[in-house]
Amino acid sequence: MVFGYIRPQKSEMLVREYEQYKAVYCSLCRQLGKSYGMMARLTLSYDCTFYALVQIAVGADCPGFKNGRCVVNPLKKCAYCNAGENELIAASALSVIMTYYKIKDDIADSRFLGKLRSALLLPFAARAHKRAARDFPWMDAIVSKSIQMQYEVEHRDNPCIDACAEPTSEMLRQIFESIAGKPENSESAKVRILRQFGYYLGRWVYLIDAADDIEKDIRFASFNPFVLKFQLNQSSTQEELDKVRGYVNQVLNLTLSQLIAALNILDLNCFGPIVDNVVKKGLPQIQKEILFKKEKMHVGSL
Amino acid sequence: MSDPYKVLGVSPNATDDEIKNAYRELAKKYHPDNYSGSPIADLAGEKMKEINEAYDTIIAQRKQQKNGGYSSYNTSNGGYTNPGYAYYSNTGFGDVRNLIMLGRIADAEQILDGVPPENRNAEWYFLKGTVLYKRGWLEEAYNCLARACQMDPGNGEYRAAMNQVMNQRNGAYGGYNPNVTYANGCSGCDICSSLLCADCCCECMGGDLIPCC
Repeated sequence: MVFGYIRPQKSEMLVREYEQYKAVYCSLCRQLGKSYGMMARLTLSYDCTFYALVQIAVGADCPGFKNGRCVVNPLKKCAYCNAGENELIAASALSVIMTYYKIKDDIADSRFLGKLRSALLLPFAARAHKRAARDFPWMDAIVSKSIQMQYEVEHRDNPCIDACAEPTSEMLRQIFESIAGKPENSESAKVRILRQFGYYLGRWVYLIDAADDIEKDIRFASFNPFVLKFQLNQSSTQEELDKVRGYVNQVLNLTLSQLIAALNILDLNCFGPIVDNVVKKGLPQIQKEILFKKEKMHVGSL
Repeated sequence: MSDPYKVLGVSPNATDDEIKNAYRELAKKYHPDNYSGSPIADLAGEKMKEINEAYDTIIAQRKQQKNGGYSSYNTSNGGYTNPGYAYYSNTGFGDVRNLIMLGRIADAEQILDGVPPENRNAEWYFLKGTVLYKRGWLEEAYNCLARACQMDPGNGEYRAAMNQVMNQRNGAYGGYNPNVTYANGCSGCDICSSLLCADCCCECMGGDLIPCC
């Protein structure tokens, strides 16, 4: 589970859209501080911003914006949404919950330094997580179930790519489907579309994360579905790796085609162009950067 | 029915061309090709119907206004009609196909999984691929479809499904294709056409850049 892949492509946005996106980002940051304390702001990510964005976009109210100052750096001006508080609260809870499980996962998986860093962060994350799980027990249940499923899949004999991607896909499917509200109208068009949208978004995120980690996972002999499928190891040549990347790109494109199909029939009341930009421009851009850039750059901030 | 202009996302003052463009843009989005085999294909079909109706309504209204309100215009202006998904039932897996059509994917898969491995023919792999695709297991689906095509290369139904997935993998429906140069590239064609343009400009002013044309 990694953060930061679901982001817009800035160069393709209108200035106004970029400002709106930043306003949601800043509002989420502020909400994180309000709900779960100063330290929780560190969990802020593009992914959870996108979750907030989609929630607001399919909702009835379009927020306006008001100017304010950055909560971290008072010299910086920034805009905040003046609506969508419930959506931002849910997104902060998701952010805190996912980070908590990620830190726990890192303690189990990483080597000495990573373990140490994670162990230091754990008390803060655990306290915030306790509050988030109290406010959103269903969300905590979805995420923890997914982590457990992932563990089981990875310890199975030779799992296929689809099986490996299933827990994350399933997690986002449930989280996005819950945007549409109560389960009694579980077959409404909105629920069905959001369900598809979440499933393929989760699948894409899992796959791109696995692709990004191929080299690292070969070096540390960690689990990676692509390394497993193509039997890659330390002696694999650059050519072999490039071939695998070409394959991975196709898998991602296929996933994205389903995601776009769902997005195209999803009714968005606001932020439509921004959500469109993220899915149709931002995600392919990340594919390009991770799979085809010669010298690999770390995906930095916007 | 809701405001047809709102459905197409255009202002009531838009020109006929603007309306046509907006309609085409949406029709491309909702095109059944984008949804074949998808569990939300029916919703896309509804969207398509909505924009078809909106487009027809607007065109009819405008025709009527132009003709001074006399003629009742026959509505059918080249809107896209959904051909539906053809399921052939003269095969050994009619029951499975019916279940798939009804959206009972889990039941269909259960029957398929009950078929002993030695009886699994091309159609079995095709249907298994269809079921997996609907469930989102796209890679296993791809493998099954490939197997079906390999076992029965002459079958158009399997081939069509396979082609669709191949195109999706290659980025025809969004994504990134490393073999296509995007916007900021300059191909051989660009160079030639720029030179020809420059030549035309020169000739207008009495000069000549490329003497032979």
